[in-house]
Amino acid sequence: MDKNDLIIRVAGEGGEGIISTGDFITQACARAGLEVYTFKTFPAEIKGGYAMYQTRASAQPLYCQGDTFDVLCAFNGEAYDLNRSRLLPGTAFVYDGPGGDFEPEIPAGVHGYAIPMTKTAKEMGNPKAKNMVALGALSQLFNIPEQALREVITAKFTKKGTTVVEGNLNAFAKGRELAAALAKTDPWKLEAPESKRDVVVMSGNDAVGLGALIAGLDFFSAYPITPATEIARYVARHLPKRGGTLIQAEDEIASASQVVGASFAGKKAMTATSGPGLALMGEMLGMSFMSETPCVIVDVQRGGPSTGLPTKHEQSDLFLAIHGSHGDCGRIVLSVEDVSDCISLTVEAFNLAEKYQCPVLLLSDGSLAFSTQTVAYPDPASFKIVSRKRWDGHGEYKRYAITDDFISPMADPGTPGGMHIATGLEHDETGNPNYSPANHEAMQAKRFRKLDGVVNDFPPAEVDGDGEAELGIIAWGSTIGVAREAIARLRAEGVSVKGFYPKLLWPMPVEQFEAFGASCRRLMVAEVNFLGQLAHFIRAETSLRPESYTICGGLPFTPAMIVAKVKEMLA
Amino acid sequence: MSCAQTHLHQVALETKDYKTDAKPFWCPGCGDHGVLTAMYKALAEIGVDPNYLVNISGIGCSSRLPYFVRSYKMHTLHGRAGPVATGVQLARPDLAILVNGGDGDGFSIGGGHMPHLARKNVNMTYVLMDNRIYGLTKGQVSPTSQRKMKAYTTPYGGVEEPMDPVLYMLTYGASFVAQSLATNVKMTAQLIKDGMEHKGFAFISVLSQCPTFNVIDDAKYFKGAAEEVSPDHDVTSVDAAMHVVNVGHETGRIPVGLLYRQERPTLDEYMADLVKQAGGGPDYDLRKIIDLARP
Repeated sequence: MDKNDLIIRVAGEGGEGIISTGDFITQACARAGLEVYTFKTFPAEIKGGYAMYQTRASAQPLYCQGDTFDVLCAFNGEAYDLNRSRLLPGTAFVYDGPGGDFEPEIPAGVHGYAIPMTKTAKEMGNPKAKNMVALGALSQLFNIPEQALREVITAKFTKKGTTVVEGNLNAFAKGRELAAALAKTDPWKLEAPESKRDVVVMSGNDAVGLGALIAGLDFFSAYPITPATEIARYVARHLPKRGGTLIQAEDEIASASQVVGASFAGKKAMTATSGPGLALMGEMLGMSFMSETPCVIVDVQRGGPSTGLPTKHEQSDLFLAIHGSHGDCGRIVLSVEDVSDCISLTVEAFNLAEKYQCPVLLLSDGSLAFSTQTVAYPDPASFKIVSRKRWDGHGEYKRYAITDDFISPMADPGTPGGMHIATGLEHDETGNPNYSPANHEAMQAKRFRKLDGVVNDFPPAEVDGDGEAELGIIAWGSTIGVAREAIARLRAEGVSVKGFYPKLLWPMPVEQFEAFGASCRRLMVAEVNFLGQLAHFIRAETSLRPESYTICGGLPFTPAMIVAKVKEMLA
Repeated sequence: MSCAQTHLHQVALETKDYKTDAKPFWCPGCGDHGVLTAMYKALAEIGVDPNYLVNISGIGCSSRLPYFVRSYKMHTLHGRAGPVATGVQLARPDLAILVNGGDGDGFSIGGGHMPHLARKNVNMTYVLMDNRIYGLTKGQVSPTSQRKMKAYTTPYGGVEEPMDPVLYMLTYGASFVAQSLATNVKMTAQLIKDGMEHKGFAFISVLSQCPTFNVIDDAKYFKGAAEEVSPDHDVTSVDAAMHVVNVGHETGRIPVGLLYRQERPTLDEYMADLVKQAGGGPDYDLRKIIDLARP
């Protein structure tokens, strides 16, 4: 039987064309109408080190990177060594040989295909085309759409001239020829669907940048930090086209400060960072809340604490996102599940910041940052865009007027009669300093009570499944996709499970949590951190007592891990 | 218009029109009163429209100043007035940006930002009110305090050499650098006016005595040490400006007046060029950007 949900892992030395090979596979599959979901690990070093790019492609919707690969393509001995324990029976293994730097043993049940990648490329006088030979072989063996691959290779190298294009296409053809001469023994074969949907293929970081552009971003400031920097790269390329301004600040304190300044000046402004940067922004977050100045901060989480695991995946900034900054400091915290969310929830982050005049944090994570996925074409006209309430110019202006909904109209500099101060000092309705007990109580209540509307403004958390269940799984961020796949498998086996996928994490939609909890006999929170951070907030804010399932090894969960945990719990 | 800064929206107003109802909270004899008076005077002389003026400060005694100035304003965090002002300026290059702050605010906690305001030539006027001590926390040594100073946390006398904010800003490429005394309202007002009319980052250091906590650097000391830069001083030469300051360090004199002025493009001008290069504007069709991500 052909298996048409294929995970191909290309692995080898960084700089050998691992990433571009993965990109070609991904782009070609998407071009042929397949859904794609990729997963990559980079070395922390610039040159050399182990690199891995995994593409999952299917005609069916994909929610996560899957369990492990079905096909391993090893460019060198290190890639083989690091992955040999996962060469399970049934796996296909394509490797550089003869003529590579290693002689693998093919485990029983594994379908081995030796392709002399290095040797062939050298013989063709084009040693850099080793990855093209590999790509040709993979294309032949697993039916990765040939025509689409030829198109993406041509598009990629056109700028370098026809000789380079020809050289790469020849190496690609040679790879196909070498593979065709081998007997195919495995069942893996991609089949492109007959109908294609209109899609884009983007990484999580690029998608955050696009979401910001759709939301009407005017001003972006950031300081370089892994794994968030690609957001700045995307915005730097495209924001000037929309007439906006991007600045690289001297540090994250400055970037948060510039964002608050630009927002005071009437513009939609954001910054993007990772945990260490968010820690530095804590004080300015308080200023944004106190002075009721909208700002959007994206935190692409990485392994912590301290410098931690800068290029690795973790969901461990929830404590910082929800409570980071001194004093009682409110904010809105959203988290994204996938690339599609990176677009739509970035728009939502701006809408909420503009409406509620407070900091809005959007949590992404290291694996989503670099994961490329097919996403339905985001038509800019289909998004609702919110802009801040501005003073109508009538009567006397009070910047911090206590209104029915506790939201006070803003006045951009240059508005006659709208002069006011945005201040971090406690102040009265006009902005004048006022430290009286009654005033501080009233103004804190104003700033927090205006956030009461947030829960009703945001779509309710998705509940996966109906009725009562033995076990309810709660997940956030990119773990949601893994939970979806695990729950589908468990259900197919007759296990009684439901899922709950909150994306508004603060203010917490307590009633939604309670309702879900009431429909499950037991609850489990799966998250990639040591302390069980979301579980902590659920225990603190609701009557629920979920069990925590945490990992923090620098990698995301797999569906198989969650399936196994659930079976263990229910045994 | 005599003003080199075409973005300064001008109106005919008097000094009193820039005053708010709030009464300055500084101690009697504090130099900051003089700086505020000079600011009112400079603003009225230029005729800056308060609706298009944004006065921004950090934290400290001098950072309370915006409360006393009729304008849009921000009272931000300790040390962060500069980057906040950068955000306002880049977002709205049509506004006049005036920053006030002390020596601790600008050159201790905020010291990491100063080089970047200078080298990027952010179009704003930064008025340093240097009293060489932390006043609001009741008298600790600051980065500009003289080494021998006995203070709150230095009961046996200080152990650190002071820095010179003027030399610092010259080093990092500020395009307008001047120094004055708070007691000399006329000179201070003139330099603030010149700074506001200068296109680019204007830095004006005003030595502003703290009669409550700094008994060494009092008004009398500043007056005695101050020496106006010679009429022959070449304000277009950064070497000449540094030389004047360094000679002062050797002789115990404090140079006052305009030290350096350079015309060069500002950060927002470079940014506007980028937008032009990209063929950009708010009507640019987003679909053209999204289409680039089609497989």
